[in-house]
Amino acid sequence: MTNSRKNRLKDKGFEYLGVACSLFGLVVLAIFIGDILADGLSRIDWDFLKSLPSRKPEKAGIFTAWTGSLWILVFTTIIAFPLAVSAGIYLEEYGGNGRWSSLLEVNISNLAGVPSIIYGLLGLEIFVRIFKMGNSVLAGAFALALLILPIIIVATREAIRTVPPSIRAASYALGATKWQTIWNQVLPASMGGIFTGVILAISRAVGETAPLIIVGALAYVPFAPSSPMDEFTVMPIQIFNWVSRPQHGFTVNAAAAIIILLLITFVMNGIAVYLRNKWQKKINW
Amino acid sequence: MKMDNHILESKSVNVYYDDMHALKNISMKLEANSVTALIGPSGCGKSTFLRVFNRMNDYIEAFRMDGEVLMEGKNIYHKKMQVDELRKSIGMVFQKPNPFPKSIFENVAYGLKIQGIKDKEFIQNRVEKSLQQAALWDEVKSDLNKSALALSGGQQQRLCIARALAVEPRVLLMDEPTSALDPISTAKVEELINELKQNYTIVIVTHNMQQASRLSDYTAFFYMGDLIEFGKTEEIFRNPKVERTQNYITGRFG
Amino acid sequence: MTQLEQEIKDLRIELLNMFIAVNKQLLKTEKAFFDFDKDIAYEVYNAEKRINALELKIDRDCENILALYSPVAVDLRFVLSVYKINHELERIADITEGICKYINGLSKPFPSKAVEDVRIAEMFIQCKSMMEDVIVAFENEDTSTARKVFKKDEFLNEINEGGSANIIKNYNEQDAKSLFFLLSCVRKLERAGDLNKNIAEELIFSIESKVVKHQKKK
Repeated sequence: MTNSRKNRLKDKGFEYLGVACSLFGLVVLAIFIGDILADGLSRIDWDFLKSLPSRKPEKAGIFTAWTGSLWILVFTTIIAFPLAVSAGIYLEEYGGNGRWSSLLEVNISNLAGVPSIIYGLLGLEIFVRIFKMGNSVLAGAFALALLILPIIIVATREAIRTVPPSIRAASYALGATKWQTIWNQVLPASMGGIFTGVILAISRAVGETAPLIIVGALAYVPFAPSSPMDEFTVMPIQIFNWVSRPQHGFTVNAAAAIIILLLITFVMNGIAVYLRNKWQKKINW
Repeated sequence: MKMDNHILESKSVNVYYDDMHALKNISMKLEANSVTALIGPSGCGKSTFLRVFNRMNDYIEAFRMDGEVLMEGKNIYHKKMQVDELRKSIGMVFQKPNPFPKSIFENVAYGLKIQGIKDKEFIQNRVEKSLQQAALWDEVKSDLNKSALALSGGQQQRLCIARALAVEPRVLLMDEPTSALDPISTAKVEELINELKQNYTIVIVTHNMQQASRLSDYTAFFYMGDLIEFGKTEEIFRNPKVERTQNYITGRFG
Repeated sequence: MTQLEQEIKDLRIELLNMFIAVNKQLLKTEKAFFDFDKDIAYEVYNAEKRINALELKIDRDCENILALYSPVAVDLRFVLSVYKINHELERIADITEGICKYINGLSKPFPSKAVEDVRIAEMFIQCKSMMEDVIVAFENEDTSTARKVFKKDEFLNEINEGGSANIIKNYNEQDAKSLFFLLSCVRKLERAGDLNKNIAEELIFSIESKVVKHQKKK
């Protein structure tokens, strides 16, 4: 066999392997989704979404869970977004290139990989106990904010890095100060990337269970939170709770809740992709 | 006859990048409303010298300088000099066109915006005037909200020129402004430079000998950080005083 | 060597060939004159075609270099001076051809007394010497040799001034045609001297970038 024929075979071989691997993931996902839909789709109706949890599976709903998730989502965003983006801007623009800042960069990336339960423990000690927030939405939001902070910081820095130095040079050459350049040119240009990072970080936070359990999100909460200091629960915890019950009805409920959670995740990711595409079109360096 | 009409002056300027002596004892006087070309082989220091005038070298960590640089008699490296103020009178156009990823209008208005100017009519008029000066108005007037990145390379460069002109600087520094452009765009920009010199002092770095001889009133030849010769362009190209200059412009080296 | 340098080198060789060819014409013309040799005169007449062709070629090459290479400084001065010297050489060649035409148009040699009186032999010698000077000056880029021609040109002018008087002195009806031709030869040789002087001026300009035209010579 000639070399070029061998090469072409290898080429085709790799192509098929790649397709198979991708299909494998998709097939597994399809099976999973199909299974879930089969189990839970029928259970979903307005009552399910509006009802409070109950001992009887037919009456149990996810109202408190999804409102809890929403509260957590909102507060986590409010806390994390300005903090992380500002930190990212500071580190990237004013940080300098010395050993100190490289050390910082490595450590922040490491933080993103720390098991989320650690953040739960941290949150428990600092926010619940020391700051006396109790087992509240606020404590949970702070803990989750800490969790996603490094993710957003890294995303912000990456997005800022894609802004070419020629744009900054042009801004400086016109007499702009560093801050004017950041505010008027660098940030608007990197907003798309930053938002994408934020949404992906938030959609991860929506699915977090361990840290919230530690911080004290209760499993049985018969009311929706009405203030940030209220106790709460979130979707993943509710799902976990139902799955551990013996009644088959709760398994169906769990499946239904999973569908809703998946829907939320897909929608958020969809928004992230849409935003990223829109931003890419505007800015083609 | 012009008396001392020198708007820019360097006195014994030395530039160092860490240990590297990039510019050696450069003294030069630049006349107002003239075009001065800086020529020389790659790495000879001409771009560094250009950036000395609007202090864009300040962003390079290893940069050190001694000597004086005067604009209209005032030392621009004085501790009290506000760099952003300086850059409102000395504008710059770069080698690769670098419009902001915004609309044509916003690009040209940016320099005014950062000065805090809010009068809409004033800004409109200034934008139009600058685009006309840059010979771009007719091509873009129908849609100033179009993205600047949708323009062709030559148009983008003229946009960058308009953007620099919008703040009405006294001096325009141009770093190889046409080297990334096709011949027709180059010709348009050169024509533009010819007209602008009536009202602006222009300093242009160029690799293109013919461009230097076509456009400039004065030429400075740099070689390895030294200023080898500086004089009226006709004299440099007809009968240079230094042999090295002659060798460079006749293509015998570099 | 860059392409431009090569072209300049080639142009230099071409002009040198032109110099040599025209010089040959001058030498032959002198011989034809004093030996009254119509064959040599005919040779000169024939060679004229080649010289014209060479002139056109040099013209074209100068144009090409200017158009394609945009030479500056010393290169530009060189090309400009070659262009002008080329034309001056062609006119010198014309002069030699003209003299040879006269020789061919006469049935007997020029009257010897008149020839002696107008001192045309000396004129030929000066002219040849001037040509030698400019050729050496061109080959060696030596402006001091070029400067030697100015005195010689003055000398030619002097002789030329006496020309009419000497012809009138020798006038007789029988030799009228010869005498008029002779006077014309005197004028032509004086003109040839002028042309050599112009060539010297061009060389000095090209090499030293000094404009010496229209100035009093020291």
